[in-house]
Amino acid sequence: MSKGNRGRDRAAAQRIVEQQKAAERRRQVTIWTSAGVVAVLVIAGLIGWAVLAGQEKKTDASAVSTPSVAVDDGTAFAVGTGPVTVDIYEDFMCPICHSFEQQTGPTIAQMVTDKKVTVRYHPVSILDRASNGTEYSTRSAGAAAAAAVDGKFLEYHNVLFENQPAEGSDGLDNAKLIELGQSVGLGDTFATAVNEGTYKSWATKTTETFASRGFNGTPTIVVNGKQVEGPGNTLPTTEIFTQAVTAAAG
Amino acid sequence: MDLTQQPRLAAAWPWISTLARLGLAAVFLIAGGLKVTDLAASARAVNAYDLMSYDTAKVIGAVQPFLEIALGLLLLIGIATRLSAAIAAVLLVIFIAGIISAWARGLQIDCGCFSKGGELTGGRTAQYGLDIARDVGFLALAGILLWKPKSKFSVDGLLMGDR
Repeated sequence: MSKGNRGRDRAAAQRIVEQQKAAERRRQVTIWTSAGVVAVLVIAGLIGWAVLAGQEKKTDASAVSTPSVAVDDGTAFAVGTGPVTVDIYEDFMCPICHSFEQQTGPTIAQMVTDKKVTVRYHPVSILDRASNGTEYSTRSAGAAAAAAVDGKFLEYHNVLFENQPAEGSDGLDNAKLIELGQSVGLGDTFATAVNEGTYKSWATKTTETFASRGFNGTPTIVVNGKQVEGPGNTLPTTEIFTQAVTAAAG
Repeated sequence: MDLTQQPRLAAAWPWISTLARLGLAAVFLIAGGLKVTDLAASARAVNAYDLMSYDTAKVIGAVQPFLEIALGLLLLIGIATRLSAAIAAVLLVIFIAGIISAWARGLQIDCGCFSKGGELTGGRTAQYGLDIARDVGFLALAGILLWKPKSKFSVDGLLMGDR
């Protein structure tokens, strides 16, 4: 009888010990897995940091060939000699930029002719994701820089918008970019620059500058340092744009 | 009635948690995966919120996709599930707060949750309400895991010796 009792007691004690052991094991597992999770996240963050540092190197001043004709910290190409400065940030893949060119382009051209404005075109590449990995935005911006070096920026800029590929398509390939260049009188040096992607890193850097100035969308239109927009972040009409230029001219 | 329901519900929880865990893992893997291919765009998306200097936005924009992918993988294998879910919840609260602040300031931006974001131009309007509702849904998944972290097919289960 007493023996049976002792056996039961021992079994119960053993059960308690086992439960404690299991609880201790669970605690240990929780501590170690938590430490593992924190470590993995820290490492992931550091990888991000390292990748960023690697990309920054690519847009270092030493690694970028900036066209000598570029103005405004080497980010833009100037057209005209008027007193009012108009900065236009455009992506050649951006349909609304195309609309702006169709809508207001002639007015701007007239203002340039009348020596009212100096237009600084900033080709930026914020829509690389919209060309199936061919980076059309960067390639076309780089091609425009090459055209500027050979003195044909505006002509090439216009022909790029006239032949704008659909957003989400592959964009135009380099051969087509070169062919369009030939149509406005660009030659072999231009073709080489497009094929070798000479100014692609320049386009990336220009886009960096654009973002660092706090701009996010294209087209961004700035008249004498003031951004011009229609109501509710919309594209300014030609009228709104003209008013801004008139006001800036004083 | 209750007597028969209770054990059944208790048996169902690990399965519900498993679905929540895998769902949340997918959310973070997709969100991070879409952004990791273009860190410059990710930086611009963060910068569009206009909450910090561009240099800070660049770092956040680069680190965030990697963090999201790592968290997604951790949730996928189910390791330290409660902690992973807590971190996911904290991130989601930060994202929701960011969207609310953009909304309150009248910015017109794409939240950049599953895209590379940026400013909306040309008549596209921000869908802040929908973005917030979606993130709150994800937050609910994290909440389920915080409350009942035990789930099937997890490293936790393996290590704890659950069957």
